[in-house]
Amino acid sequence: MLEKRFLNGHEVLVEACIDAGAMQMFGYPITPTTEILSGWINKSLQNKNLHCLQTEDEVAAGFAVCGAIMAGQKAFTATAGPGTVLMQDALSMADGMRLPFVALIGQRGGPSSGTVIYSQQEVNLAIHGGNGEGLRIVLSPSNLEEMYTLTRKVFNYAYKYRFPSILLTDGYLLKTRQSFSLPETKIENQKLLALVDEASQKNIRNIYTLEKELMSELEKNKQDFEEMSKEIVEFEIYLGDNSLDEIEDLIIAHGIVGAVAKEAVDELNKQNKKVALFRPITLSPFPKDELNKLAKKIKNIFVCESSLGQLHDLVKQNLEVTTKISGIFKPAVGVEVEEIVDLVLSNK
Amino acid sequence: MKFKILLAGDGGQGVQTIAKIVSECFFVKNFEVSSIPNYGLEQRGGVSLSFIQVSDKKIFYPKFAKADFLLLMSDQARERTLEHVSDDTEIIDFKNYQEIILQNKISRSSLNIFFLGVVAKFLVEKSLIVKDDVFVIFEKKLASKKNWEENKQVFEVGFLI
Repeated sequence: MLEKRFLNGHEVLVEACIDAGAMQMFGYPITPTTEILSGWINKSLQNKNLHCLQTEDEVAAGFAVCGAIMAGQKAFTATAGPGTVLMQDALSMADGMRLPFVALIGQRGGPSSGTVIYSQQEVNLAIHGGNGEGLRIVLSPSNLEEMYTLTRKVFNYAYKYRFPSILLTDGYLLKTRQSFSLPETKIENQKLLALVDEASQKNIRNIYTLEKELMSELEKNKQDFEEMSKEIVEFEIYLGDNSLDEIEDLIIAHGIVGAVAKEAVDELNKQNKKVALFRPITLSPFPKDELNKLAKKIKNIFVCESSLGQLHDLVKQNLEVTTKISGIFKPAVGVEVEEIVDLVLSNK
Repeated sequence: MKFKILLAGDGGQGVQTIAKIVSECFFVKNFEVSSIPNYGLEQRGGVSLSFIQVSDKKIFYPKFAKADFLLLMSDQARERTLEHVSDDTEIIDFKNYQEIILQNKISRSSLNIFFLGVVAKFLVEKSLIVKDDVFVIFEKKLASKKNWEENKQVFEVGFLI
């Protein structure tokens, strides 16, 4: 058993970025990700190999990440809410140039400045915020241990597959202080990619003269994304005390609501409900085949999320069966175990 | 076993300092702990809350609907926490301590340390923390700050009530 420490989510993230081999952070402070920036600054004062620049806004931070990556640095940013909106300009450039752009996003309530703590309303923005096709890797952790592991994966996927990669978390997980242990299995880092060799000339483009040229480029990117999807798609099916064959109802939730839903499954099991949890860990690519395989046997689906339906829409978009869907949709507010239990029990 | 604690006061009153010390005491006793602050855009003037849970099992979700124990340090905080109170919630309300605070001339800046003492006593009686741990963590966090001697005395006043 590795050492147990009492850490905040943002401390776990900074540690994960350092262990992932990140060298440089560009950012602009915004709750709830400010402590990632200040935490990284503190680490960079102790370690001269780590660098940091607080830019004038998130637009500058995003483009600085693009530039640093092209210059051969493993760089990243962290932002939230209206900062995630501003970050789309640079992320879209990264979409177009297939840059291994890593962003840590701490969702807060919106629109605009909204609330400063928590929400799950940046799912659409994380996946589809650019003026392109949403070819981004988006991972949603449900606890601190997963937050660490998925951050390491986000860096590795970005550099292995060259798609912008996002860790989509929230203010609750970032601000929560809990016991934390590093994973026992060592995670290897993907080798740093030199995008432009100094001895050669290479034109990495984000603008095209001919319309068809852009279209064929996007088709190729889409094909690469689909091939990659088979390798990285990740999800959890939590059955509690049930076996897969006896499941009648399915709760779908991601991130911290997924953790709450797990407790709800345990509670419902005690009341003899045959219910399971399906938790997409990769929101993009979405675990479509795995969900459909499971959904074929299901009578009712309950989507639970802290938004008015961003996960629900993602589920609908991927679901090939016409199972009845209802749920809990609470933008900017957490979902309690008791609410999920009541929803499932009250369903006729 | 799971015990849910809600600490509530005005922003700037030191609610989060109490939360940090108390939650570290649970951690050193090998409990699973979850602690999360909650406040609005205003850093001062608004209500500052801290949701703490202690359990013998892993805690996944940092918030809760109803508290087992509530510390109220202001009138504003009382209004804001009504939804988290059930018939079973044990409450320490600052209003009931006004006389002691006046008698002992406890300054505004040390008020949170007085209530740290009150809360610590409550939790020691529940066998959830040990007084020595509280003091060690309290000293580690605040010994280098000004008013340390005053804070030490104020903590004892709160603990010995």
